[in-house]
Amino acid sequence: MAYQLYRNTTLGNSLQESLDELIQTQQITPQLALQVLLQFDKAINTALANRVRNRVNFKGSLNTYRFCDNVWTFVLNDVEFREVTDLVKVDKVKIVLPHSSTTE
Amino acid sequence: MEQNNSLPPFQGLASPQGAMTPGMPIFSPMMPYGSGLTPQPVTNTNSLSLLEEQQRQQQQQASSQQAGVPGGLGQTPQLYHSQTVTTTTLPGNTPLYTATPLTPMTPITPATPASESSGIVPQLQNIVSTVNLGCKLDLKTIALRARNAEYNPKRFAAVIMRIREPRTTALIFSSGKMVCTGAKSEEQSRLAARKYARVVQKLGFPAKFLDFKIQNMVGSCDVKFPIRLEGLVLTHQQFSSRPNFFPYFSSYEPELFPGLIYRMIKPRIVLLIFVSGKVVLTGAKVRGEIYEAFENIYPILKGFRKTT
Repeated sequence: MAYQLYRNTTLGNSLQESLDELIQTQQITPQLALQVLLQFDKAINTALANRVRNRVNFKGSLNTYRFCDNVWTFVLNDVEFREVTDLVKVDKVKIVLPHSSTTE
Repeated sequence: MEQNNSLPPFQGLASPQGAMTPGMPIFSPMMPYGSGLTPQPVTNTNSLSLLEEQQRQQQQQASSQQAGVPGGLGQTPQLYHSQTVTTTTLPGNTPLYTATPLTPMTPITPATPASESSGIVPQLQNIVSTVNLGCKLDLKTIALRARNAEYNPKRFAAVIMRIREPRTTALIFSSGKMVCTGAKSEEQSRLAARKYARVVQKLGFPAKFLDFKIQNMVGSCDVKFPIRLEGLVLTHQQFSSRPNFFPYFSSYEPELFPGLIYRMIKPRIVLLIFVSGKVVLTGAKVRGEIYEAFENIYPILKGFRKTT
């Protein structure tokens, strides 16, 4: 089953809000909304895996790390995200990585 | 000391006959201890034996001055629990060996035992210690709530936690036992272990600090001259008192590992000796063992200094 990680993104949140509106106006059932979200999970996972090609580098200092339930969580400070064209600087970044492979 | 020449069990081994004999960590290992009655007619003709003859004569001159030298040299490692009985004559007979670890090759003046201290102090690089926190722990809770923790139960059944000051790593097990590694001194190891215990305590477990014990200490240093490992292993290939483990005090397989592995018996320390002159000492439970082992090996290494 695909990670529901991406529901709390700009795209995912917009979708959820739209679905909530539709439920409010009784145009769809909550069950259908749930199915939509599940489909969204699958679609976003495959799209990111297959259709995204660009690459961003980032560098910063590590504040904390955690690995539990096969999920890595990092908190970095003073990070620079660098793409070919752009540079974004950030004070604090939390990175969450579900990692399903058991071979480290 | 007739047995001197009959080292039958060990004949086949690399060392020249008689090289087995114990005592001085010098290269003329052939000198049996108290055999000093006569210069043993050494049957082998290799150069070492000639050297021995030389030394023997020297020593016999000096022997009168050797009072209780063997006993006196606290420093000399009992490197050879010689398989032979030669050691038995140790007390008493004209101690052939000037127990000085010094001046291996040269005809010796009976130097005073602790004569040259090397002036080099090994630096401690790593200390491993264990402590019992005294209560069962829920590793998942710890991994989720503590910072800088890893827990992958499929791979290893402990939480791996690190702290920055002192920079150390701890393995915390569900039984409540913990291993702390990476500290550079005993006090730092204890302090780090206490910090980990406090982290666990703050997460809600009734942690205590029981049975803190340092299990291993690693030190390293540099003698500042290159060393002839081949020579060292030739003269120090002897049966140790733990033949079931390794029949040799030193083993050197350059194709396997570029360092010579020297297993000192007293103190029980393993040294890795490299051609560059760098030495790694490990296996100590207390700091003094590292220092003692280095003081023991330094004279031997000086004797095998590369002169080219």
